[in-house]
This record gives sequence, C-alpha cells and structure tokens, in this order.
Amino acid sequence: MRRVALVVAIVGGLSALFVFGLLRGAPDRNVPSNLLGRPVPTFVLPVYERYLADFGPRLSLADHVGRPMVINFWASWCGPCYVEAPHLEAAHRRYGDEVLFIGVQTQERDARVAGRAFIERFDFTFPNVIDDDSRVSIAYGLFGVPETFFVHADGTLDHKHVGPVDARLLTERVEALRR
Amino acid sequence: MELSLGTLGSAAAALALGLSLYALVAGTLGAARRDARLQTSARLTAVAVFLATTTAVLVMQAALLTDDFSVKYVAEQSRIDAPTWVKVVTLWAALEGSVLLWAWLLTGYTAALAMTTPNHALRAWALAVMQGVQVFFLGVVAIVANPFVVLANPPFDGPGANPLLQNHWMMAVHPVLMYLGFVGLTVPFAFAMAALITRRPGTEWMQLTRRWTLAGWGFLTAAIIAGGWWSYEVLGWGGYWAWDPVENVSFMPWLTATAFIHSVQVQERRRMLKSWNVLLIVLTFSLTILGTFLTRSGVVSSVHAFGDGPVGPVFLAFFVLVALFSLGLVAWRWDQVRDRAELDAAVSREGAFLLVNVLFLALTFTVLIGTLFPLIVEAVDGARVTVGAPFFDVVSLPMWMLVLLLMGIGPLLPWRKAETQSLTRNLAWMLAGGGLAAGAALAFGLREVYPVLTIGLAGWNLTSLALLLAGAVVPRARLTGRSLASASVRYAFEQRRKVGSMIVHFGVVVVALGIAGSSGYRTDVQLRLPYGERVAFNQYELQALAPFSERTAGRVSVGVEVAVFQAGRQVDLLRPHINAFGTSSMTVPTAAVRYTPGHDLYLSIAGAVDPRADAVIIRVIQSPLITWIWIGAVILALGTVWTLVPARSLGPATAPAAAGQRARA
Repeated sequence: MRRVALVVAIVGGLSALFVFGLLRGAPDRNVPSNLLGRPVPTFVLPVYERYLADFGPRLSLADHVGRPMVINFWASWCGPCYVEAPHLEAAHRRYGDEVLFIGVQTQERDARVAGRAFIERFDFTFPNVIDDDSRVSIAYGLFGVPETFFVHADGTLDHKHVGPVDARLLTERVEALRR
Repeated sequence: MELSLGTLGSAAAALALGLSLYALVAGTLGAARRDARLQTSARLTAVAVFLATTTAVLVMQAALLTDDFSVKYVAEQSRIDAPTWVKVVTLWAALEGSVLLWAWLLTGYTAALAMTTPNHALRAWALAVMQGVQVFFLGVVAIVANPFVVLANPPFDGPGANPLLQNHWMMAVHPVLMYLGFVGLTVPFAFAMAALITRRPGTEWMQLTRRWTLAGWGFLTAAIIAGGWWSYEVLGWGGYWAWDPVENVSFMPWLTATAFIHSVQVQERRRMLKSWNVLLIVLTFSLTILGTFLTRSGVVSSVHAFGDGPVGPVFLAFFVLVALFSLGLVAWRWDQVRDRAELDAAVSREGAFLLVNVLFLALTFTVLIGTLFPLIVEAVDGARVTVGAPFFDVVSLPMWMLVLLLMGIGPLLPWRKAETQSLTRNLAWMLAGGGLAAGAALAFGLREVYPVLTIGLAGWNLTSLALLLAGAVVPRARLTGRSLASASVRYAFEQRRKVGSMIVHFGVVVVALGIAGSSGYRTDVQLRLPYGERVAFNQYELQALAPFSERTAGRVSVGVEVAVFQAGRQVDLLRPHINAFGTSSMTVPTAAVRYTPGHDLYLSIAGAVDPRADAVIIRVIQSPLITWIWIGAVILALGTVWTLVPARSLGPATAPAAAGQRARA
C-alpha cells in the first residue's frame, strides 16, 4: 500500500504542477532577457529621411557605443506604441546628446508611409531606423512591440522593458544608466 | 450534408475511433476470459483500424494536394503555390496533422503486431494496451483536434506552413523519425504491461519485443540527431543543440530507452534487474506523453513550442492515466518483479549495467528538473526564471564523461565476476590508449578540460573495441585456420548483435569527438565584408562578390555570393541567403556551409542585404570536427540496422559449436 501511495503522491504532485501551468494562462512576457549584462547585438539599419543630415543613410549601432542608449522597438500598427511615444520624445529632449535614443520600426514590412506618419505625429527628433525584415527584433529576442532596451555606455544591456514605457520609468532607468 | 473531403476525413477518423474502441473492449474481454474468438476478432479489427486511419491520412493528403481550403487544416497550413513536397509534409507541419500522423503510425504498428506476433499468452493483453493508447490518439484526431473540420466560407488561399519548416528538406524526415521512435517504444511498454497483468514478469516480454525496441530506439536516435542537423543548417546560429524544452522532451525518453536496451540484457542473462526494466519502459513511454503535453500546451515557454490549443488538458489527463495505470500496476505486482538474486560482485558486467542505469536515470532527472524548474519556481513564489544551456552543461558533462568511461569497460567485463588478471591486462591496454590520445591532444596545445578528457576517453574506447574484436576474432581464426580478415567477416555476420553494438559504440565515440571539437574550439565573429575586398578569417580569406536575388515558386531568396580563399587560391563559393515564403512576413536566414573533415566554415547573413550598400555583415563561424557528429550518427544507424537483421550462417563453419560457446563465454 505504501508503494501505491508513493505512486499517487508523485503523479499527483506532477499533475498539480501542470494544472497550475495550464491555469496560469499564457506565459508572462516578462522573461528576463538573457542579454542582461551582455553586449547588445549590433546592427546597421537604414535611417528615415528626416535624420539623414545627422546620421547618414545608415545607422550603425557600433559607432555610438560610448554613451548610454535607449533602444525602443515600435510598429505603426501597435496601439501601446502610440501611448508611449510622447514620453520617449520628452525624455530625449530632456537628456539631449547625453543619452542616445534610437527608435526601431520593426515587425512590419515596407511600411514607410505609415512609419513616416508615426514619426511626424510625435515629432520624433531622435533617430528612427527601419528593421524591415525583423532580423534585429529576432536578435534582441522580442516577444512583441513595444519593447525598450536600456544600454550602458559600454554597450551592455542594463534593463529591458516589455510593454509601453511611461515618464517615471524612463527617468528611473535613464538615471540608472547615467550613474 | 454534402460529401466533401472534410466530411469524408471526419468519417474515416470517427470510424477508426469506433473500431478501435470495439477492439479495446473485445480484446480486453477476450484476454480476461481467454476467449479465442474475441481475441481473433480484436486482432482482425486492428487491421481494420489501420485501414480506416490510412483512409483519413490519404484524404488529408488529397485535400492538401488539391488545395481544398474548405478543410480547416489545409486552410490554416497550406498554400496554393507551395511545392508539392511541402504540401505532402504539411501533414505534420502543425499539431492536428502531426497527431493524425502519430495515430496512423501507431495503428500500423498495432496491425503489424496483431498479424505477426506468434500466439502467446502476452499477445492478447499487449494488443489491448496498444488499442488503449490508440483510442486516445484517435480520440484526439476525431474529437479534440479534428483537422478535417469543414469551413463554411473557405478562403481562396492559405498562409502556408511555417517558413522554418519549408526551408529544409530535413523537416520532411525528422518528425516522421521521431514519431516512429515514440510509437516503436510503445510496443515494449504494451508487452511489459501485459507481462505484469498476466503475472509473467520473466524475459518473454522483452524477447518478443527486442527488435521493436531496438528499431524504436534507432529511429529516436536518428530523429534527435537529424533535428540537430536541421537546427544547424536552418537556424543560422551555427549550433545544433540548445537545451530548449522541445529538444529536452525528446531527449528524456531517449535517455531512459538507452538505459532500457542495456538493462534488459541483464534480465535475459542473469534474471536480474526485473523491476528496473519494467520501470524504465514505463518511464520511457510516460515521458513521450509528458513531452508531448509540455510542448503542445504552452506550459513551458520554448522557442519552438506549438501554440497552446485544446489538446493540453487532454494530454495531461492521458499522462496522469498512463502514469497511474502503469506505475500502479508495477506497485501492485511488486512481489513478482522484485529481484531475488543479488550481485555476485560489483566489478562485473551486470554491475556495469546497473551503473549505466543509475547514470542515465540521473541524466534524465537533470534534464527533467532543468526543463520544469521555471514552472516550479513560478508555482512557488511567482518569480520568472529561465534555465539555460550553462546549467545543463555543468551538471551533465561529468555524467557524460562517466558514460564514456563505462562504455569502454562494460563490454569487456564478464558476467558474474571479473577475473583480476584479465581485467588488469585489459585496463592497462585501455589506460595506455586513453593516455596516448589525451597526451597527443595536450601536445597539440589543447588545454580545455572536457575536450581533452573526451579525446582521452575516445582513445580508451577505441582500445576497448579493438580488444573486444581481437578477443573474438583471433581465437576463431586459430581454431578454424582461416585468415583474420575472413574470420572477422564471418564473426560480423554470425554475431550480429555483438558486432552491431560495437558499431553503435564506435558511432557514439565519433559523435562525442564531434561534440567536443565543435563546442570547445569554435570561433564565432561578425565580419563586415566590403564588396570586392578580401577579409582575413583564421586560415581563410573571404570576399563578398555581389548580392543576388532569386525567385522561385512561392519563395524569394536574397543573398550574397562569398568567395572563400585559402593560401591565395579560391577553394569554395558560398551563398548565404535569406528566404521569404509567400505572404509570410517572417524571413528565414539560410546559412551556407563549407563542410570539411577538419572543420566547418559557416556563413550566415547578419542584418539585411541592401543592394545599394557597399558591404555586407556576415556571421562567420568555424567549428572544428562538427561534421563527425553527422557521420557518427550514420554509423550509429548502420550499427542498429546491423543488429536488427537476423543472423545467418555463411556456410558450414569448421567448429561452430565450440566457436559459439566461446563467443558467449
């Protein structure tokens, strides 16, 4: 009888764990990035016309290592991206050249018109680049948009935020980078 | 209701389920009452179930090939301009279809068993267990995840199968091998259950299923390595194994099955380890179901899990049922499977096998804990963690070294008790072989612990294989007066089981060397290649010539031609590219590989190919010895096949009886 009890206990314990797994619903998207503390993947991406004068036709991330960076992934079809956009622009204006903000349009293909409209709407003065084939989003392990990566001056990842950012979070994380 | 392929397929699946239910009831009653007519009826029904399921598969193929988008599965998974081979393999490109494939293979195996197994006390119950498993899978096909659902408003075209699957022909092979392995291992499970039910826990159940077990194990082995090669060729990271949950869940049953095929020999020879064998096969089968549950339910997050669907809870329920039924039965019959004999000596063949069991079980437990750990942590305190390759490497590598150590010594140990003299002599040879190999590795400047250890253990194992072969062939040549070569050939044909296992062990050594080389000494860099310029990389120079783009039916490829120079001479032209399929926005980078025996040169486009740009960024990876993993896998498969083909005699031997006895001694 003890053996049967053991079997029931093991199978019961495992099933309880799995029922929990099923009931908790879709896995939370905030899995810690395995890029934390490591250099973020570099990329060379085409730049929107409006930033040509300052950054040339293509922006290479590697050229800008040396100051803290905030890399924000967005798409024109993404609702929350419209919510966070004003905060990003405000933070960029506050920190000026000290922190480099980069917007990456991703997970949509050949959506220049929509992308331009998005940029004009929020009057983004920080560079925005185009990840047309979503390769960079894969390299960064994106679950979806928006996601924002806070990168140290030495190019290593300090923090990744999934979902829209707000003013408080931006201040907090950027101050952490400047420390 | 209008007659369409969808309704026809649903009907065939429902018929198969109904027939299988009948066969389960009739078979169980027939077995319990020892009613021969009921048993025969159940056996014949098994064939009918197979035919009905075959019809369902053919209907699905017809729907895929004729682009019948009124069938839901076709509408969701296929595309008009996909190549024909992609349409055929789309059957297993998604969950519903792959369960249908699994069920179909299972019905095929059951029908073959019903027709070919000799009339034996275990047959009726074993077939009833097979039918029980079959009822579950057919139930999923017919009810829970029916791929034949008819759409009221069929679309004009579908999205096509997952681009990652379309990108390489290996995806036509890998899943089928995997299911053949899983289904093959159901057979020994069914016979083990039958043995427990009928209180015949002897060796009959394993002898009746020996070939099925080995074939299942061989398919599973081939499937796992084929999956690794697919990952290497398609995913663009130059690796083949990432300890991802999907990989882990196919690996766990392989580990327990490997322990099982070794452990059964102890019971055959010494009537020991009965409880181990029953538990190992129960674990193997339960783990295949558990793995399917874990990867198809979204319970563990994985890079390539199939999204969550309605099948999660169903597979969980089936896992619980299987575990309670089979483990309960083992507990119930414990008095019969308990070992009465004791080990005569720890240093003996059976002692080595016992250690193999313990090691493989520890490895299984490691992989299971690593896979479930994030879920356990989340259940306990809600935190989110991931367990990555470092955990698995740190914990499992020492155990793999022990496995290699045992693999060398085990086959040389005699049953019952080793004689100290011969053992010492063999050990001395093997230590010399291992020391020589490790010394050579050190002399060539290798300093990393595990690669050097692996090379040393490879030397140890090769010496062991040479000793085994010499010990068998030299006395035969002497006795029969034949040359060594002809004695070896005769031995290979007559002792297929022994020679097959030597070939398999040799294959394992080759795979181990490939893994050690490719993981210990790989270079991985991102290079910016300006068009027309030669850029140095290790002993090579790489020159990006020009971007190209190609368009075939339903596929667009954009890539770069890269000339590879060595010592100033062009040795290769590689074409790494990025594929896009149909309307899918997902692109698949496709690496270009220069395979050589010493190392592979692996180019994968990192970033975009812009025809206006003056350079391209390429990820360049050089992995030593990696090709030997795939070559070793082929050797492994050949060894398994060699073991499976029935032995035949090559004409009259001079002293067959004596030789036979010596070989067994």
